[in-house]
Amino acid sequence: MNNLPGAPDLLRIARDTLLSELRSRVPEDARYALAMVANAMAIAAREAEAGDAPTVAALARLDALYGRPRRDLAGAALHQAIAEYDRELTGDIRAGHFDESDARHDALMSHLHASVAARLSISNPKSLET
Amino acid sequence: MHPFDEIKSDRLLERLESFVLEAAGAARARISPLQRMSGGAVQQNWAVDAELTGGPLAGNQRWVLRMDAPASVAESLTRNEEFRVLKAMQEADVLAPRPLWSCEDGRVMGRPFFIMQRLPGIAAGHKLARDASLVPDRSRLARELALNLARIHSVEPQHPALGFLKTALARDNVAHYRSYLDTLDESHPVLEWGLRWCETHAPEREDVTFIHRDYRTGNYLVDNGKLIGTLDWEFAGYGNPLEDVGWLFAKCWRFGQHRYPVGGVADAEDFLREYEAASGRHVDAAALVYWQVMAHLRWAVIALQQRERHRSGIEPSLELALTGHLISDLELEILELTTKKS
Repeated sequence: MNNLPGAPDLLRIARDTLLSELRSRVPEDARYALAMVANAMAIAAREAEAGDAPTVAALARLDALYGRPRRDLAGAALHQAIAEYDRELTGDIRAGHFDESDARHDALMSHLHASVAARLSISNPKSLET
Repeated sequence: MHPFDEIKSDRLLERLESFVLEAAGAARARISPLQRMSGGAVQQNWAVDAELTGGPLAGNQRWVLRMDAPASVAESLTRNEEFRVLKAMQEADVLAPRPLWSCEDGRVMGRPFFIMQRLPGIAAGHKLARDASLVPDRSRLARELALNLARIHSVEPQHPALGFLKTALARDNVAHYRSYLDTLDESHPVLEWGLRWCETHAPEREDVTFIHRDYRTGNYLVDNGKLIGTLDWEFAGYGNPLEDVGWLFAKCWRFGQHRYPVGGVADAEDFLREYEAASGRHVDAAALVYWQVMAHLRWAVIALQQRERHRSGIEPSLELALTGHLISDLELEILELTTKKS
């Protein structure tokens, strides 16, 4: 362990500096690019801060949705498990296995809502405010 | 050499002058250096100011030269096809730039291009949606957009000059988007859900007309509050006319102005009343929701394609990378529209 500022902290302070000290010195025609850079840094900071937590939560929901024993995975194995579940889920949705308005359908919809919310909290948290 | 520098070179300008001289039947043609116009990642638009002596177009002319960007997208029409679409639109009294000449000879500009009239006005979506002074009469703009769209939809399939256009109805769109998702190395359950919903809710029967397929704020010009012309015809085809209505209404094309469901600029009722009267076609609420779901699916697929252009290394770009981050917003809207009790 060290006490050096980590990725989220560095990205945040770099972004603040970009906006407070550099923005006004950048010509008008480069402001759009600067805004994109600031946005990218904010997304990266949120992603670094969230770490594996959203993926761990997704695995728990998917294990429950498919009635399978809950697993504690991390790192590459965790992401591999999610990729496999997404493929299975996609095939099942396309095959109409979630068409009926039943508990399984409701569980699917709440999983989809939760995964969109998790992605939005990184990509564009403002969308979750309303 | 940067491709834009090449387009501004003297030799190229001379070749363009000879082309215009012959096409316009002029005695002399002088063209000022081309200016890149904003918009169009796929197509490049260049402002052309010409001074012609003799011939039917004698005088000062303001044109747009439209050509493919170096990396063109397979799905869109060729420049010559787009040119022929503009001709057909002119015959149907659609508000659009008047097409002048098309040139497929690569020796002139390096790539095929066409020249059309340059219309005045503002197209930028964020400006039209956010600056109320640009749209002083929202009801009027709604009616103009509706009447213009009804005219576009008055062009029937099998137009003799437009044999190259493809037809895609609701289920074709679903199949098309699925086939794209299948090329990716990851899965998208929310988009799959939206596609399944569009499959199970697909209309029993559909009208088929000519459709624009990108009729939205950002792709039309407004001058002094008035609709002047429709731009960007590269995705046109035959399909369900309500696809265009859903695209225009879709939340993702309101530039944040959700008070105005019609492209962030106008009220739904003003638009629908005029569209229904002019087209004789009823737009029921369920169909409007259906085609808005389809609109978000389509935009999500395009956003994925743009993200891939960045990710594959073909065209590294911050803008394309960030487009990938728009997808969750589109997914949220797909879930909201498909879980409303109907």
